[in-house]
Amino acid sequence: MLAFERRWLLRIFDAVYPRQTPGAPTSGAADVPLEGLITDLGSHAPFDFMLGLRAATWVVTLFGPLLVGRLRRFGSLPVSERGEVLEGLAHSRLYLLREIPMLLKMVASLGYVGMPDVQRELGLSVVDSQPPSWARGER
Amino acid sequence: MSGFVHGLSDVAGQAAVRDSADVVIIGSGAAGATAARVLTAAGLDVVVLEEGNPTPRDGFRQDAYSAFKGLWRDLGFTAARGRVLMPILQGRAVGGTTVINGAIMHRLPEKVHAAWEHDGAIDDLLSYAGLERTFDQLDRELSVGPAPDAVFGQNNALMHAGVTGIGAKGNRILRNVQDCEGSARCGQGCPNARKQSMHLTYIPQAVAAGARVYAACRVSKVETRGGKAVAVLGEFRDPTGSARGPSIRVEAKRAVLLAASAIQTPVLLQKSGVRGGLVGRRFQAHPGTSVMGVFEDEVNMFFGATQGYETTHFWDERMKFESVSVPAEIAATRLPGFGAPLQARLANVGHVAQWGVQVRAEAHGRVRPGLGGGSSVSYDLTPKDVARYRVGVRRLIEMMFAAGAKEVWPGVHGLPTTMTSPDQARALDALDDDPRRYHFIAAHLFGTAAMHRDPRAGVVRPDGRCHAVDGLYVIDSSLFPTNLGVNPQHTICAIAWKIAERIADGGTRGRERDAA
Ligand SMILES: Cc1cc2nc3c(=O)[nH]c(=O)nc-3n(C[C@H](O)[C@H](O)[C@H](O)COP(=O)(O)OP(=O)(O)OC[C@H]3O[C@@H](n4cnc5c(N)ncnc54)[C@H](O)[C@@H]3O)c2cc1C
Ligand code: SF4
Repeated sequence: MLAFERRWLLRIFDAVYPRQTPGAPTSGAADVPLEGLITDLGSHAPFDFMLGLRAATWVVTLFGPLLVGRLRRFGSLPVSERGEVLEGLAHSRLYLLREIPMLLKMVASLGYVGMPDVQRELGLSVVDSQPPSWARGER
Repeated sequence: MSGFVHGLSDVAGQAAVRDSADVVIIGSGAAGATAARVLTAAGLDVVVLEEGNPTPRDGFRQDAYSAFKGLWRDLGFTAARGRVLMPILQGRAVGGTTVINGAIMHRLPEKVHAAWEHDGAIDDLLSYAGLERTFDQLDRELSVGPAPDAVFGQNNALMHAGVTGIGAKGNRILRNVQDCEGSARCGQGCPNARKQSMHLTYIPQAVAAGARVYAACRVSKVETRGGKAVAVLGEFRDPTGSARGPSIRVEAKRAVLLAASAIQTPVLLQKSGVRGGLVGRRFQAHPGTSVMGVFEDEVNMFFGATQGYETTHFWDERMKFESVSVPAEIAATRLPGFGAPLQARLANVGHVAQWGVQVRAEAHGRVRPGLGGGSSVSYDLTPKDVARYRVGVRRLIEMMFAAGAKEVWPGVHGLPTTMTSPDQARALDALDDDPRRYHFIAAHLFGTAAMHRDPRAGVVRPDGRCHAVDGLYVIDSSLFPTNLGVNPQHTICAIAWKIAERIADGGTRGRERDAA
C-alpha cells in the first residue's frame, strides 16, 4: 500500500472507531498503532484481499460522500459525518458498495478491538499480556 | 520407535529431504490424523506432510488476527465467488481445521447414510453398524460429551430458552473436550489444551508409534508411474512468512492418502493429472449466517463453551441452529453501525448473544487450481437455499425474543437494523430470495472427489481408492457424495478410520470384491 493510501485508510479506521464517544471506550482507532497492522497485512494477506482493501479505501475516500449525496471530500468531513458516510454505504442498493464498509470495519475491528488495552476498557477478560506483534513493530 | 514433527527449522540447510514410507498422508487434520493413528497402530510406517506449521500444545495468542495469521488458511480471507463473496474458513496447521474448530461432534445422520447407500455410493465398508462402532470408539478416545453446567455459559443457556420458547427441542452439544474451562476461544486455538484437536490426540499418538510428520511442507503433486501413485513431491516453506526450505520427495510403498480437505484435495488431484469427470465439481457446503440479540442482563458470550447448544428440530427442512461465541473483534464487526453508535454498542457487547443457522444447501460449486498454487472456488446458492435462510433467520429472531431479548439485530439487508418486537420478523416474508441480502460463511465443505462404485458417477471407489490411479486414496470430506446437514468432523474421522483399517489389512477384501 502506498503512503497516501495508508493515510486514507487510517482516516477511515478513525471514522469506524472514533475517540471519546460518550458512554463508550474513551480510546479510538487513532490511539492504536494501526499502521503496523496495515504493514503486516501487506506481508501476509492474500494478494486479492489487499487489492480489495485498497480499492475499498479509494472508493470511500474519493467517492464515499458523493455516493451518499454529500458534496464534500471524505477527509474534509467532521469525524461524526464520516461515520454516517460509511453507514450510508452499508445500506446502499448495490451489493458491492455495501460490502466495502463491512470489509473496512472488519480490518479496523481486528486491529482496534484486538488490543488488550481496548479489551480491558470494555471489561473483557484478557489473556494476552502483550499487544499483538504488529503493534509491537514486529512482523 | 518414536517418530517426529519436523518444521522448517529442522530441515534448514538441507538441499533436499528424501524419505519413504508404507503410507504417505497429505494433510494432518481430522481425516489425515485419524488415518495416521489407525495405520501406525496397525504397524505400518507412515509419513504425514502438512502445509501448516507445527502447532504448540497451548498458550496460543488470543487476539483474532494473530490466530488467523498463525492457524487459519490465508488469514480466513479467501472467498468463494458467485453472486455473493462467501468466506471459506479453514485451518492450516498441524492438526488442520480441528485446531480452530468449535469441537462439535455429530454422527452421520442415518437418513444421509441411507441415501448414499441407495445411490450406490457406498458399500459394506461403511455399513451404518460398523460406523456406529467407530463413532463409539472415537467418542471414547476424544472425550466426547456435553458441556457441564459450570462452563455452559449464558449464550448457550439463553439459546435453550429461545429454542424451547418457540416450541422446538434442542440439546447440549456433544463436544470433544476434556475438562473444558469455558473460555469460549475454540476458534483461536484452545488456550488451555482442553479441546481434543488432532495436534493433541491422534498426531502425538501416531508420532509415538513412529510416524514422521513434516510440517511447513506444501505438497505440489503426487507422482504417478504406470497408473500407480509412487511418491509425493513438495517443498518446505513457512506458510506465515516468506522463508523457504528444501524440496521433499517421499516414496510411497503402499499408498498415498489425500486428506488435504475438500478444497485442496481436488486441486492436488488436478495437479497430479487426475482431471475431468467429477474432480473438483459438486462442491457442497453448509453456509451459515447469524443473528444477534441484546439482553437486559449480562450475557458475556466470551465465557462458556464456544458452541454449547443446538437444535436439529428443523433438520428435515435442511436447517440446523447453533449458539456461536466469537472473539470480541469478530463480534464488533457484526455489531450494527459505524462511529459513535458502533462504539456505544461495543461498550455493551457483554449483553449481546449470537446464534446461527446453517443450511444443508442444495447448491453445487466447483473447485479449480488457482493462482500461485492456491485454489479458486465458484459457488452460488440456489433460490430454494436462500428461501431457507429467510425462514431460518426468522426463527432465530423469534428465538431471541422468546429468550427475552430487548433488541434483535438480524443483519439482513432490507430489514430494520434493530427489531424490538417479534412481530417485526414477519418482514422477512416480504423479502425476495436474493443471497446478497445476507452475510454467509462456509466452514463445512464436501463433495469435490465423490465416492461411487461407478467411475462415471464418482472420482473414488467406496473405499476411497481413486478410480483413475492405483494406490491413490481420498479420505477427507471430498469423498462425501453429499453434504450432511450436521457438523462433519465426526463423520470425517469415522470414514477416514474405516478406509485406513482397510488399507492396513491390505485392502484384500476390496480387491476380491472388485475381481468378483
Ligand atoms: C471455524 C470453524 C469451526 C468449525 N467447527 C466445527 C465443529 O465444531 N464441528 C465439526 O464437526 N466441524 C467443524 N468445522 C469443520 C471441520 O473442522 C472440518 O470439516 C474438518 O476439520 C475437515 O477435516 P479435513 O481432514 O478434511 O481437513 P482439515 O482439518 O482442514 O485438514 C486438512 C489439512 O491439510 C493441509 N493441506 C492442505 N493442502 C495441503 C498441501 N498441498 N500440502 C500439505 N498439506 C496440505 C491443510 O493445511 C490442513 O491442515 C469447523 C470449521 C471451521 C473453519
Ligand atoms: S471453550 Fe475454551 S477451554 Fe473449552 S475447549 Fe474451547 S477454548 Fe478450550
